[in-house]
Amino acid sequence: MAAGPGISPVVIEGLQKAGRLVLEPLRRLLDRGFGAALNPLNHLGALTIYFFWIVVVSGIWLFIFFETSVAGAYESVEYLTHQQWYLGGVMRSLHRYASDAAVITLALHMIREFVYDRHRGMRWFSWFTGVPLLWLVFPLGITGYWLVWDQLGWYVALTSAELLDWLPIFSESMARNFLSDEALSDRFFTLMAFLHLIGLPLFLVFGIWLHVLRINGPRINPPRTLMASSLAALTILSFVHPAVSQGEVNMATVPPSLGLDWYYLLVYPLLKAWSPGWVWALLVGLSLLLCALPWIPPLRGKSPAVVDLDNCNGCGRCSDDCPFGAITMMPRSDGLAYDAEAVVDPALCMSCGLCTGACPTATPFRRHSELVPGIDLPDLPAARLREAIIAKSQELEGRARIMVFGCQEDSTWTRMKARLEGSATGAVDLICAGQLPPPFIDFVLSRDLADGVVISGCPGGNCQYRLGAEWTSLRVARERDPQLRKRVDTSRLALAWEERWARHKDLPAVVEGLRFELSGEAGPEPQAATAHPGGPARWALTALLYVVFLVPVAVFAVWPRFSLIGEDQAMVSLSFSHAGQRVGECRQLTQEELNELPPNMRKPSDCPRERRPVRVLFSVDGVPLYEDRLAPTGLWNDGSANVYRRLTVPAGPHELFIGMNERGEPEGFDYALRQAVDLAPGQHVVVEFDETHQTFVMRLH
Amino acid sequence: MTLLQWKPAYTLGVPSVDYEHRELIAMINSVYGHMAESSEPAVIEAGLEDIYAGIAAHFALEERHMREAGYEEYAGHKAQHEELLDQIRDMMDVFAKDPDAGRRQLRERLADWFGRHFATFDARLHERLGDHG
Repeated sequence: MAAGPGISPVVIEGLQKAGRLVLEPLRRLLDRGFGAALNPLNHLGALTIYFFWIVVVSGIWLFIFFETSVAGAYESVEYLTHQQWYLGGVMRSLHRYASDAAVITLALHMIREFVYDRHRGMRWFSWFTGVPLLWLVFPLGITGYWLVWDQLGWYVALTSAELLDWLPIFSESMARNFLSDEALSDRFFTLMAFLHLIGLPLFLVFGIWLHVLRINGPRINPPRTLMASSLAALTILSFVHPAVSQGEVNMATVPPSLGLDWYYLLVYPLLKAWSPGWVWALLVGLSLLLCALPWIPPLRGKSPAVVDLDNCNGCGRCSDDCPFGAITMMPRSDGLAYDAEAVVDPALCMSCGLCTGACPTATPFRRHSELVPGIDLPDLPAARLREAIIAKSQELEGRARIMVFGCQEDSTWTRMKARLEGSATGAVDLICAGQLPPPFIDFVLSRDLADGVVISGCPGGNCQYRLGAEWTSLRVARERDPQLRKRVDTSRLALAWEERWARHKDLPAVVEGLRFELSGEAGPEPQAATAHPGGPARWALTALLYVVFLVPVAVFAVWPRFSLIGEDQAMVSLSFSHAGQRVGECRQLTQEELNELPPNMRKPSDCPRERRPVRVLFSVDGVPLYEDRLAPTGLWNDGSANVYRRLTVPAGPHELFIGMNERGEPEGFDYALRQAVDLAPGQHVVVEFDETHQTFVMRLH
Repeated sequence: MTLLQWKPAYTLGVPSVDYEHRELIAMINSVYGHMAESSEPAVIEAGLEDIYAGIAAHFALEERHMREAGYEEYAGHKAQHEELLDQIRDMMDVFAKDPDAGRRQLRERLADWFGRHFATFDARLHERLGDHG
């Protein structure tokens, strides 16, 4: 048992490492095609929400033409798809492909947050509230396929009903409704339409709100360019490869194969081999595991930011800049004339230090008083940062000394740090680029501690702490407080993630690039990355990346095909419910007994409510294919026993036998039917019990 | 010698800002005091550095009040703050490189530096915020 907490860090860190091996090259590739600011990997959550909006808008169009009935559903969708292919058909395809794309971005969103360890600490809330969203998104897609009511819709309805039937909610089998046309009622469509059109989307919108609630300034919209280009790409796909229905429902035959949308129906084929109970166990187990993930070791033991009231006048800059809404300005508690003071909620603090970077008292030019900013990070306080800078500067020599600041969370930094360090280059660790207060840059350059400063941060919106690189860029550009002093010569400063420097191959190349500019001497031409094409080449790459994204969207929406039964098989569905005999005989009450009862309870016979189980045998050519003793349903064991089973039988001539013993006895049958049939491949036989005539019926259709 | 004197007219009506104004005046006067006593350059420099940190925080707070009050001259006032911070940094650097030149510059400019801001910008702010104070 002790192995549990010991092994989980190895497994989780191993998975995260493996994930980075995939995501990092992908990020670099997408950087080339989209540029760092538009890199879709940095907007996965927002993209998912955007795709959801596309689904909503196209869905409204579909709803206008959709007929909510057994008879009308398929026809109305067919009309929309073919008669109005240029609009309704495109809307239908957009509806499908945007929802499939959303599953991809959603999965990548989850993987990315996990891989970069962004599901822990105060971020547990967003992670945790994301899990129920999955339970809304997938049923939303599933009910959508149901509504189309083509052969896939029938399969989805039948399988979903079988899945739900396993749960002890309904005493009657719901799947029974989807075995024959007679059993099916429009009510089901009303229910599905309600769930798909109103119920689930409403909960989803509320869920998304909850999901981003604790994030300060959440990005719920992707950049416009990305919105426009992805919508264009999906529209093109909708014209090139429109979504179509898969044939009218015919319950007399089983469709030979179905094009499954694997994004939504991934687990459905499992039901061919697994019992619904196992599928539920898998789904619930996975969800619980996801929910628990933020608390599975390795746990981060970072100390939250600490406020020093002597240095806090309540200016609120830290609170404005905190990416996690962990700092609130509260009424002053120390009696000084100030209105407010910063208060850190340790449960929300991610210990990134962006608050120190924003604090006006975090200036290294403080030798008289101790360098204690109004808000500081115990893991790497501003005073220690200043010491590290001064110590590092003493190691540097030469004419163009460069001090490089890098955040520990950036995988590039950890990789490049050793390569950087040399007689003219010093590397100083930060927790996040945004932790470095701008006066520190002024300090390094004006006190001649170095000739140039490079700040490396997690590139292009990929910041571990969301806003570190962004705030730093704005502070240096004097567009956000605290602004870098105008007197600081920004030509001595390189922010490695910014467009101008990101062109360089890697961080050492950025450092050399800056050194080259500083020295003003003829040096080696900075290695420009050939990998960042401009103009048409870049557009071509962007288009190619969209194709690479959309091909799996289109392909796995219908392929690989799935067969419910084998090629030369027929399907037999046993579907009936029958009340077993009562355990005891009914007894007529005497007049005296009746008189003793309250007037409203005087029923003439007293029957034991409990019923016996029902034994059922189904055999083909004398070989039992299904045999079971079915317990009565109901809390008092007084309900009917339910028989629901789908069986496959080889095509060809057979003798089918169904028998039932309503007393649950192992021998003999109270009702039985023997019938010779010649089953065609794909034929669907439904075995029912006619309660009115107390006899079995085999619907051969 | 005391160069700056707190005047009731300086009162903005925002207690925290007024409190800091008084503190800053005390800080500036203390630096002047050190200069009069011909203290070590390091002492004066440290005093300047404290003024820089204090005033940076003070401006941050004042800007917050201005924003919250929707002060229409915010942009100009804010620009003035940034300029003043640049100037005090310049003074600090001059002092660090050449304490004698630094002393001369301080004598000429320090009081002026803060006093003029008081007389012009903060007075205008006073008109705006005072009534609400």
